[in-house]
Amino acid sequence: MSTQDRVKINKLTTGVPGLDEIVGGGLPEFSFNIIAGAPGSGKTTLAHQFVFANASPERPALYFTVLGESAIKMLRYQQQYTFFDPSKLQDSIRFVNLSQVVLEKDLGAVLEKITKEVEKANPAVVVVDSFRTMVRKPESDMDLQSFIQRLALFLASWEATTFLIGEYAEDELRDNPIFTVADGLFWLRQTAERNSVVRKLQVIKLRGQDSVPGLHTFRITDAGIQAFSRTFGLTARKRNPPSGRRLCFGIPELDKMLDGGVREGDSVLVAGSSGTGKSVLATQFIAEGIQNGQPGIVAVFEERPEAYSERATSLGLDLETPQKDGKLTILYLRPLDLSVDETMQSILDAVQKIGAKRLVIDSLAGFEMALSPGFRADFRESLYRMIFALTGIGVTILSTVEVDESFTEFPFSTYSISFLTDDIIRLRYVSIDGQLRKIMVVIKMRGGNHAKDIREYEITSKGVVILGKRLVEYQGLISGIPVHSNRLSLQEEASEGAGTKGKN
Amino acid sequence: MTTPTEMRDLALRLLTYEANASKFPEPVESIVLRVYEKLRQSLSDFAGMAAFQSLASRALAMARSEIPSLQVAQISADGALKGLVPDKGHAMDDFGPQTDLGKDGATEQIAGNGGIVVIARLLGLLLVFLGEPIMLRLLRNAWPGAAIDDRSSENGRKA
Repeated sequence: MSTQDRVKINKLTTGVPGLDEIVGGGLPEFSFNIIAGAPGSGKTTLAHQFVFANASPERPALYFTVLGESAIKMLRYQQQYTFFDPSKLQDSIRFVNLSQVVLEKDLGAVLEKITKEVEKANPAVVVVDSFRTMVRKPESDMDLQSFIQRLALFLASWEATTFLIGEYAEDELRDNPIFTVADGLFWLRQTAERNSVVRKLQVIKLRGQDSVPGLHTFRITDAGIQAFSRTFGLTARKRNPPSGRRLCFGIPELDKMLDGGVREGDSVLVAGSSGTGKSVLATQFIAEGIQNGQPGIVAVFEERPEAYSERATSLGLDLETPQKDGKLTILYLRPLDLSVDETMQSILDAVQKIGAKRLVIDSLAGFEMALSPGFRADFRESLYRMIFALTGIGVTILSTVEVDESFTEFPFSTYSISFLTDDIIRLRYVSIDGQLRKIMVVIKMRGGNHAKDIREYEITSKGVVILGKRLVEYQGLISGIPVHSNRLSLQEEASEGAGTKGKN
Repeated sequence: MTTPTEMRDLALRLLTYEANASKFPEPVESIVLRVYEKLRQSLSDFAGMAAFQSLASRALAMARSEIPSLQVAQISADGALKGLVPDKGHAMDDFGPQTDLGKDGATEQIAGNGGIVVIARLLGLLLVFLGEPIMLRLLRNAWPGAAIDDRSSENGRKA
């Protein structure tokens, strides 16, 4: 069958930011859906957002409440959300309580009542909240199955998009006929991880279209539910082909070491221990971009944006003006209970808002600490998705990471994330001539040539300044305790001399 | 905003509308019951009979503290208001500036007092739980012909 012969299924907005992307562009019109989850997981709020986004006086929404969900209490709380528009009540959204008929009669009478109300209102959307309480005591499994099938058929015939809301446990998935009949099945979960609550949403089933699989985090705020797709809303976007352009740091010697700068769309890791100048380097990278007409985002986790700007000012870099001009955004992502996807959404929104070309994440350690404990286990995987998504749209990312200084090893990061990065710049302290000095080396540049030099640098009032030529007179620099070549020669000579004496 | 006076005023506007809608003079008590029944029907459909019954019982309990004669009134299991008797100890003027209630005299207006307080208290509970916009939407739905713009508008008073 050709594409044009197929019936076109309209997609309705879910009214939930981020969820349309997850369900493949919107919810299929006339579909029969289940929203399942434990009490307090956000089921009713999700249904309300859909209802308020789609109901109109011509095609209203019928919201059936059953035992346990008093419309008065429900509306008392739901009206606190910003999506709640009281002017839609009665004309566009009508609440009908089914408690009496459910309590006093059988499922046949319930169906009859729903039929009567639907025929009267001709609704575009029908919600039954909670369906679970309606069928708690079916006369038999056959009655329940028959009831669900008749209800689904009836509502589809009336061209209504339906949501049945229920408190179901996941082990009921296999045996309950309602899940077989449903076109769409949305499962909301919330779990406590140490002191944080993690909310996740899964589209277990959605007939007729390609939804994004897996668990997606969501948050409930004053605006209602906001979902964060695992693909960050970028599934439909093609990866930008590499431009081949080089982005400079504005530090001439470093740019030379990088063969002209980092490639556009690369992920750069700047690793070093505390005080080695990672943030200074990152700030110079952003400032240089702005000077070259490349807007930037700085995501900070460990200090406030004001402090970040002030530190830049002390280096002679103006981050205030570009912020006012809309060329720079410093995002302070509030700590302690974020999900990576949520953080990503904030960054993506900022990237899209100002058309950012450079992004600094300062630092990965701060990022990890800002996450809810439940998300830390997935940090590397989430970071991979984030970097892949952002570099795919041409953003060049510079992340800083603190590494423990060791005098026996030369680690690039404590996260084993170097596989996520295209380029690695390593900063470290070395003990030279009775001083603690700093060296820099480009460890890796994927697909590009780079200098192998180990260079000494200082942090001055002008930022990172690379000194002199490469350090040829020392050996063992990366150990942090180098030995001067002259001394090494003397030692070798002495050792050779001792050997000769011995032979004699 | 939540003073009982405003709710009494709103209750009287509903009573006035119902009284004017009637072709013949009738006791205020029966007008009160008609208003109450419309509220019962509308709210039971919307929130369920049990929810309405709970609210109405609470409204009656509060009204009893103002109108002793309401001690004999009851809310039945289906939410109906029963045992409403005239209370001659209160005049209509006690409840606001609207005295133009129906086509009959002051005696009948007085007779309706207890019921008016029950309705005012019921509206007050709706206001507390749902807020003004939703409460007014429910009232407009139950009285589509009445001008219920807000709780103190001139339009509403003249309804």
